[in-house]
Order: sequence, then structure tokens, then C-alpha cells
Amino acid sequence: MKYIKTLTHYFEVTFACIRMAILTIVEYPSSIAGWLLSNPLQFIVGFATIQFVVQEFGEINGWSYGQLAFLYGLSVISHALSMIFFIQGWFMGYYVLEGEFDRYLTRPLGVLYQFFFTQINIFGITDLLPGIVVFLYGCHKVGFAWSLQNILCILALLIGATLIRGGIYILIGTTSFFTRSANDFGQYTQEIFDKTTMYPLSMYPESLQFLLTYLIPIGWVSFYPVSSMLGVDNGLTGFPGAIGLTFVIGIAVIVVAGIFFNYGLKKYESAGN
Amino acid sequence: MIEIKHLSKEYHVVKKEEGFKGALKSLVTRESRVIAAVQDLNFHIKPGEIVGFIGPNGAGKSTTIKMMSGILTPTFGEILIAGKDITKHRKEVVQNIGVVFGQRSQLNWDLRLGESFELLRHIYQIDKKQYEETLDVLDEILGVRELIDKPVRQMSLGQRVKGDLVAAMLHSPKVLFLDEPTIGLDVGSKYALRKFVKEINEKRGTTVILTTHDLGDIEQLCDRIIIINHGKLVEDGNLDAIVDRIAPFKTLVVEYFDDQIIPSALGELIETNGNIAKYKFLKHETTAAKIIEELSAKAQIKDISIEEAGIDDIIRIAYTGDCRTQNTYGIHW
Repeated sequence: MKYIKTLTHYFEVTFACIRMAILTIVEYPSSIAGWLLSNPLQFIVGFATIQFVVQEFGEINGWSYGQLAFLYGLSVISHALSMIFFIQGWFMGYYVLEGEFDRYLTRPLGVLYQFFFTQINIFGITDLLPGIVVFLYGCHKVGFAWSLQNILCILALLIGATLIRGGIYILIGTTSFFTRSANDFGQYTQEIFDKTTMYPLSMYPESLQFLLTYLIPIGWVSFYPVSSMLGVDNGLTGFPGAIGLTFVIGIAVIVVAGIFFNYGLKKYESAGN
Repeated sequence: MIEIKHLSKEYHVVKKEEGFKGALKSLVTRESRVIAAVQDLNFHIKPGEIVGFIGPNGAGKSTTIKMMSGILTPTFGEILIAGKDITKHRKEVVQNIGVVFGQRSQLNWDLRLGESFELLRHIYQIDKKQYEETLDVLDEILGVRELIDKPVRQMSLGQRVKGDLVAAMLHSPKVLFLDEPTIGLDVGSKYALRKFVKEINEKRGTTVILTTHDLGDIEQLCDRIIIINHGKLVEDGNLDAIVDRIAPFKTLVVEYFDDQIIPSALGELIETNGNIAKYKFLKHETTAAKIIEELSAKAQIKDISIEEAGIDDIIRIAYTGDCRTQNTYGIHW
């Protein structure tokens, strides 16, 4: 009963935050137009590059054009979701240095929750749309069956993938509590995520594949679950139930990140006046 | 209401050496030094008190108030608010506190003030009726309803601080923390803020803890002051009692008819300027009348006035160190 009450409380606050985010966007209408154009364009151009490569070589590492669209689309969707919910993670260092966590600590809600949700990034939707378009195109090409089981699999995959991305942002951002410097890592992680999740991981050297499978779980964001779903050889066929694994790894990464963040928060020094 | 036991806070500061060589060296060997910002503080604050924290910059007042409001984690010690440890039960305890930091705002810059209040209403789970009632009460004191539709970015500092005060009081906290609330405010806004603090204290019984460098805040608001220096508690008590104890002197200013100035056996001559002389004396040992009598026997006096030791004397003495061991005035007590 107590947990349900807490949960409804968090949902209410989340809705209030979303309402505020929309009001803020409406307050500055001119900036919307720019984002609506540039963000989708970036991914459409990215996808056009794949199309060009496939046309020239027929396929990439055994991945057909339709399968690549499927992989690319899902990766962009989980990227967009992580931009909506977790983009603040990129700026955690500034919050640590400027003492911006003060206000979250004096309110009766989780600090990490407030950090992400009081500044929910509705603009992330502009990334979501091209992702959905490319994904649906891929579905059509590979003849994806929209069964209940498959839909649940896609949802579990997206939740897991978004949590892995968010968890990694938190893990990197939290180091600022110890280094007391603002590590501006957003651009780099974005580059790495883009290059390793939108294309088949199997086209990279084995050492990198190993790294991104066992040490940093980026391979689980899209490559392993999608290859198991579409039955493409991923070099690691021994892994059963890769989609379930993505979900489990996502939860694990976010829990570890949360624990690490709360540990870092104890070292928080605010900022002098 | 608030109990502070053996409260200490240590910071680790990495030693940085000069120049390029030093920077490289610190990459390899990170020598860190422990700095005690607050050491072994103990005090107790009763419900309904207004307590002023004073001390020079870097004395540890902000660190203390930030630990008390749940922002910083103490290295040692305990902070109990309404009987509960804030470090262990942060989410529960902060429901009872409101915080306003003078140079920081919790309001949403881009939107009308009312939207920030609306978010807080959800965060603190205040129902609509209760919210309107509280806002009415606060509006009566501060006149905030006229600001509610104004975007925060268009507000003056004074208006923004009003907005922040109301935001901190919306959930009717038992304790209100104010960290340098009057900094940068004009006379009118300062007056409004002090009136607000007085009235919420009287009408709602809110306990108020504030840090300030503004002596007016202390004189007009605080029943009790706590002086902190070098992270330690130097003085704790009623303002008048502290003045009486650590600065028990008055200054007699005498204007003579000519430039011939006479020393006094009863008071110490501390300053001369032309035909004006200032004598400092201990008010328990002698009186101004006795000194005047002594001086007028030797020279002709034109005019006199008496200066009381005030809060700025207290602060000057307290800030230069422990007043009971280091006597900067040359008078022994």
C-alpha cells in the first residue's frame, strides 16, 4: 500500500514535470523549428549512408539492407528515449561543480529522479520520429511479424537498451563527485554509441567486440538482441535469450549506476557562496 | 526542534603546486590535505526560535546550515530534526524544512511564478485547498499574488527572493533555513523579508535558522546568535547577554575647548582627533559621570556623547579569535 502511494506520488510529479517541459517549449517557439529540422535530418542522412554502402557491396557482414534498417531504427529509438529521460547525465559535472544538486537534496524525492525528470527533455521526440520511420521500414523489408510476443520483445529490448545508455551516462557523470571537474563527455559517448549500436558490431575488430560485449555492455543495446531476433549470425550464438538478457543487463546497469551515484552524492560538496 | 551532536565536516583538498612542473607532479602524486570546515559543534534549538549564525567568510556557517538542511553529509556527528536523523532519513525529514539560499533560486526561470509553485505543490503533496489557504496567508504578509503570473526571468531580485520565500513555505515546514537571504537586496525588500520572517515565526511558530553578514538582520530578528569561527562554536546565546559578556564597555567621546587632551585614570584613551578624544571604559567598573568629573577637574569640556558597544564590536572581537584569551583592546577583564 505504501509503495503504491509512493509510486502514484512519483507519477503525479512526473506529469507535472512533463507539463512544465511542454510549457517551456511553448515559451520559446522559434527554437522548436530549428530542432525539428536538424535532428531528424541527422539520422535520415546517416541512414542514407547505409543505403549507399549496401547498394555498392550488397550487404554488410551478412546483414541485408532490411536487417540493417531494423537495427539502425531500433538503435535510434533507444537513443531518442535516452535523450528524453537521461540527457541531463551529460551535464552532471556542471551540477556537481555549481552546487545545483542542493535543491534536489532539500526535497522529499529521490535525487537522481529529480535530476532527470524535473528537466525531462521533450525535444528528444525529434530524434524518436526518424528512428520509428526507419524501424518500420526495416520491419517491412524483413517481414517482421507483429505478434504479441514480438511486440513484448521489442518493448523489453527498448527498455533494456535505454537503461544501459542512461546507466552509462550516470556512471561516467558520477565520477565528477570524485574528480570535482566537469567532464564534458556527452559528445564522445554519443559518437561511440552511434558507431557501435547503429551498425553491426561484427564489422569491428574482435578485441573491440570483446570489450563492448563483456566490459562495457554496449553490444547489448542493439546488436545482440536484434541479431538473435532476426537470426543473423553474431559470432556469439551461444547466448540464449538475448532479448531477455538485454532487459536484465539494462536493469543491472541502472541499479549499479544508482548505487554508485548515491555513493558519489555523499562526497558532494555543494558550492561556496 | 533541532539537535546537533558532535557535528564535524572534513574536506579533502588536493595540494596543487605552482607552475607547469607542479601540475605534472600532481598528476602522479595526488597529495591531499584534510581540512576541517566544522569541528565538534553541539547545540540545541527549541521550536519557535529565530537563530542567527554569524562568522567571517569561510568560518563554516554555510557548511553547517547545508548539513542541517540535508545537502551535505556530515563526516561525524548527528543532526536530529524533530527527533529524526536527517542524514539517515533525508526524504522524510526534509518534508519538515524549507530552504532559501540568497544567491540561488529554486524557481523555473522560463515560466510564470505560479508554475514553479504548482510543481512544488505536487512534490510536497499539498492539496489544492490547503495550497490556496497557505498562499492567502503568505500573500497577506508579502503580497505575492500580484507576482504569480509574472515570468521569473522578468523579476527583480527583490521579487525573486519573495517568490523563493513563498516557495519554501508552501508546504508549511516547521523549520525554515535562510542562507544570506538579504544579500544584494534594497532597503524596501530587506524590510519585507524581515517582516516576513517575524510574522511566520509569530503566526505559524516556524523555527528560523539564518546566516547573515547583515547586522540589521540580527538586531531585528534574532533572539539568539551562534558565532562560528574556524569551524568552531565561539559564542552561543542571547544577543544582549553576549554583548554584556564579551564587550562590556562603553566609549565616552569628549570634545574639549582647546587641543589639550588629558588622559584618564578610569578609562583608556583610545583615539584622538583634534580636540576630540575617545575613552573606553568598562561599564561594570565605572561610569561616564565619574570620568567626566575626573576630566572636567583638569580641563574645560565643550560637549560629550556616549557610544554603546554594539553587535559590530561583538563581531569584530569574536572574528579576531577567542575573545577571552586574546584581548585586542588592552583592557583586562
